[in-house]
Amino acid sequence: MVREWKTEWMKTKYRGIGWMILAFSGLVLLWSLWAYGSTPSEQLEDGFRMSYLQLALMDTILMPVMIAMLASRLCDAEVKGGTLKLLCTMEKKGRLFDLKLLTGAVYLAVYVALQVGIIFLQAGRLDFTRPLQTVQLFCFIVQVYVVSLAILLLQVVLSFFFENQILPLAAGLFGSFVGLFSWFFADGPVKKLFLWGYYSELCFIINDWNQDTGAVTYYDAPFDWFSLCLLLVILAAGYAAGKKLFLRKEI
Amino acid sequence: MKYIIETNALSKQYGNNYSVNDVCLKIRPGCVYGFLGPNGAGKSTTMKMLLGLVKPTGGEILMFGRELDDRSRMQILRQTGSLIESPSYYGHLNGRENLQIIQTLKKVPKEEIDEVLAIVRLESQQKKKVREYSLGMKQRLGLAAALLGRPRLLLLDEPTNGLDPSGIQEMRELISQLPGHYGMTVMVSSHLLSEIDQMATDVGIIDKGKLIYQGSLQKLHDKARSSIHIRVLNQSAAVRILGEYREPYELSGEELVFTEREDGQIANLVTLLAGKGAQVTRVTEKQKSLEDIFLKLTGKQVSL
Repeated sequence: MVREWKTEWMKTKYRGIGWMILAFSGLVLLWSLWAYGSTPSEQLEDGFRMSYLQLALMDTILMPVMIAMLASRLCDAEVKGGTLKLLCTMEKKGRLFDLKLLTGAVYLAVYVALQVGIIFLQAGRLDFTRPLQTVQLFCFIVQVYVVSLAILLLQVVLSFFFENQILPLAAGLFGSFVGLFSWFFADGPVKKLFLWGYYSELCFIINDWNQDTGAVTYYDAPFDWFSLCLLLVILAAGYAAGKKLFLRKEI
Repeated sequence: MKYIIETNALSKQYGNNYSVNDVCLKIRPGCVYGFLGPNGAGKSTTMKMLLGLVKPTGGEILMFGRELDDRSRMQILRQTGSLIESPSYYGHLNGRENLQIIQTLKKVPKEEIDEVLAIVRLESQQKKKVREYSLGMKQRLGLAAALLGRPRLLLLDEPTNGLDPSGIQEMRELISQLPGHYGMTVMVSSHLLSEIDQMATDVGIIDKGKLIYQGSLQKLHDKARSSIHIRVLNQSAAVRILGEYREPYELSGEELVFTEREDGQIANLVTLLAGKGAQVTRVTEKQKSLEDIFLKLTGKQVSL
């Protein structure tokens, strides 16, 4: 398993995946520098809550596209080079699918870690007077990571099945739009139908904008454990279905 | 172990059509087995089934004396190298990096990379990105990958496809040398009879999913020997004379057909027939080519 996983990293050489993760993180950092810089200091007191909400919104827009690119970079070399018929004589067919997901999951973990780093960077640079609540930070990491994993699973399946990688990338763009609109959907079952909508569904911070003063106040909302469990079930079922499809794919 | 590959009634059905139908392969260790058949005959499907890439719908496969199933597959394939259809490669990596991936997966020493690069003569191109390789170079890289780990068995599906004439010749020579130099058994498929004729020691001919001939190439060549055709005006007299002298022959229309024989024997035969009143008009020697045999077996014109 370790040997096979090592080859997955060898395959990522020259693919620029690390640079892509850094580029998206850099974009988020630049945005946060601009957005936090123009935020009144009294709002920055509640900077952690603001970050969890604003970064979740940014992730909704950026992550589906970034994950589509990530999955495509991991899988398209196998499809284009016709390597499955060779690899499947040297390693178990299903393992390749698992290792692609695992490699992608590591990149996502790096991305989420960088995002947490951005929160702390801003907290240190500006004055976030209200203390960090580790439970909320944990919830934020779970929220972003689990939703991103579910999207990665979908994109890996798409990238393996379509030789033309435009289609999986288009799915990523579609996801960004659906995810963004989901912030404006009314609460209800429809919101739970779209994977990309779970960034907003699992958001545990709500805000109130005072039209007269222009002030934004952030409040805690109860973490939606039901939606998280539902998403985990979707993830498990999607993994089982995706792997079955991959195993059934004749080479 | 009598056979390195043995299949019993191996079949693959797609819907109502059989891509491979009751194929019983018997491949001896140390031979170059030419798997010959027209395009779409079922060669690639058979080879993919031997590698466990396609699941058979019937029959069984024995490799190295063990039944190939989900449990034994990986162990069996550890002793097998393969090049199926087009070459497999990572275009964004160079030749050496491609082989490093295979070397890591096969758990073989790094030094073998240099050896296989030398065998396929790609040492000078090893640092070049594979997407910049010509098809011939990609094919040679695919062969190098198959050779890593010194497998006991090599399965090569149309390895000369798309190569230029010098590349084809090089690949043929390389394949022919493998059993002698490295003790490998090679199964190589092709739709080109002349190619199999130059490389193989044993041959299996498949058509419409059915194995229609299997045996040594020598036996196939024996079938291709020349025959002597004698035309006479008085055929009934000729038949009577040949009966009296117990000369074996076959009748083919107006001609008497004899197996290949020495010039002196032919002279005696003609003298006998002419002397007893059969009235000999023509004596011709006809060469039955491998192509004729292939055509007779498959009913299709063979590519040359």
